[in-house]
Amino acid sequence: MALDTRKRYMLADPTTRPIAASFTGAQRLNDLRGKRVGLIDDSKPNGKEILEELADLLKARYGVADVMYHRKPSASKPADPEVVARMGKECDYAIVAIGD
Amino acid sequence: MTSGLKDVVQAEWEDVVEAIEKCYELGWTDGLPVVPPTTERVQQFLDYADRPANEVLGAVPERRREITVDKVAANAVMAGCLPEYFPVVLAATEAMLDPVFNLIGPSSSLGGAGILAVINGPVIRELDINCRNNLFGPGNRANSTIGRSIRLILMNACASVPGLFDRSILGHPGKFSYCIAENETETHWNPLHVERGFPRGTSAVTVFACEGPRQVRAASKPEAILTCVADVASSLGTSMANTGSVGDTSAILRQGQIAMVVAGTSDVWDGWSKEDVRQYLQPRVRRPVADLKRVEVIEGDVEPEDEERFIPLVPSADDILVVFGGGQEGPTAALIPSWGAKVSSTAVTKAIRPPAG
Repeated sequence: MALDTRKRYMLADPTTRPIAASFTGAQRLNDLRGKRVGLIDDSKPNGKEILEELADLLKARYGVADVMYHRKPSASKPADPEVVARMGKECDYAIVAIGD
Repeated sequence: MTSGLKDVVQAEWEDVVEAIEKCYELGWTDGLPVVPPTTERVQQFLDYADRPANEVLGAVPERRREITVDKVAANAVMAGCLPEYFPVVLAATEAMLDPVFNLIGPSSSLGGAGILAVINGPVIRELDINCRNNLFGPGNRANSTIGRSIRLILMNACASVPGLFDRSILGHPGKFSYCIAENETETHWNPLHVERGFPRGTSAVTVFACEGPRQVRAASKPEAILTCVADVASSLGTSMANTGSVGDTSAILRQGQIAMVVAGTSDVWDGWSKEDVRQYLQPRVRRPVADLKRVEVIEGDVEPEDEERFIPLVPSADDILVVFGGGQEGPTAALIPSWGAKVSSTAVTKAIRPPAG
């Protein structure tokens, strides 16, 4: 039998894991009539166009009352946290468009 | 002792080749062999910098990651750094995690950015960081391993794994290692970090998300050199000479920052300051609407007046980073365009904290 010459080592793990905060989802809506919708455009090509079309459709077909529109400063930057907070308070629901 | 390190992996091996292969198995490498990050070696780095293992340097909020000192140390060990390099790697990490740098952009984008680190101050001499010939090339441990640490930190600690969160279409060789120093002692120019508000005599690192360096061969007069550099910087096909992915479209093009590394001897630039260089370049880095229409960056037919309507590609003179370095055999420069729009990522400079004691 060969002698086991392997040695044990402890390695510092160079990787990280995501820290996922728990959250509770908002109540689902049953009806869009009279509701206010928040729209977030990621500033990629065609994001604005699809959201504008969608806003018209939501108003005409589902009776959505009003929209709040936000265009991100850059596709790779987060939406303005103040706008997100205000949308959370003032809108009944939100739609995010990812263009290209 | 390994008191400060709680996130550990047990491994066993017989010889050095097995040790290296183990790190490949664990998925921790950039494709090249790494130094196994044994807890003893990582602890040496922590002790040298005198920073607690669990100190949070910043976060990548979009990926729910917090980056702590021990993770940076483990990756610096793997890259082949000496403990003395660790304060530089820490400062570079802090700079990358600054919200203005917006790491999520350059570390995930199709654009394939490398992250250039420019080192300034006494640390250049103390650590023998190369600032002369072969500035972007191989051959110097400090440059190679500090630059490589940045990529390993991105891959391992920030989850910018190629094919996962790193979606580069092409990328470039600077993604392996991209670290230079300024030759501060052979120029009359102010060092980059001093121009960016840091005291002379201190050390600092500037990080810049960018494309690869394009070498520019030029004549020996400042105006001629800068005309060549402006021409290269005004190329069609850079991220700056493009549209899309920015909220504010009033400038028409994205516009970005550029870095210019100036080689050759300093006497060529007698009578010129870095500010003079920036002021000369900025208005000349531009492209006519006609060209931008021809390559479909701007929609529409080319009108006669479009030939004379120019759009600047760099928003202000301050968005030009000027660095003196490289060989001195003849006037040559490197021009490096930013990965993206300035609003998507802006160069950041952070102080290198000298070790305690």
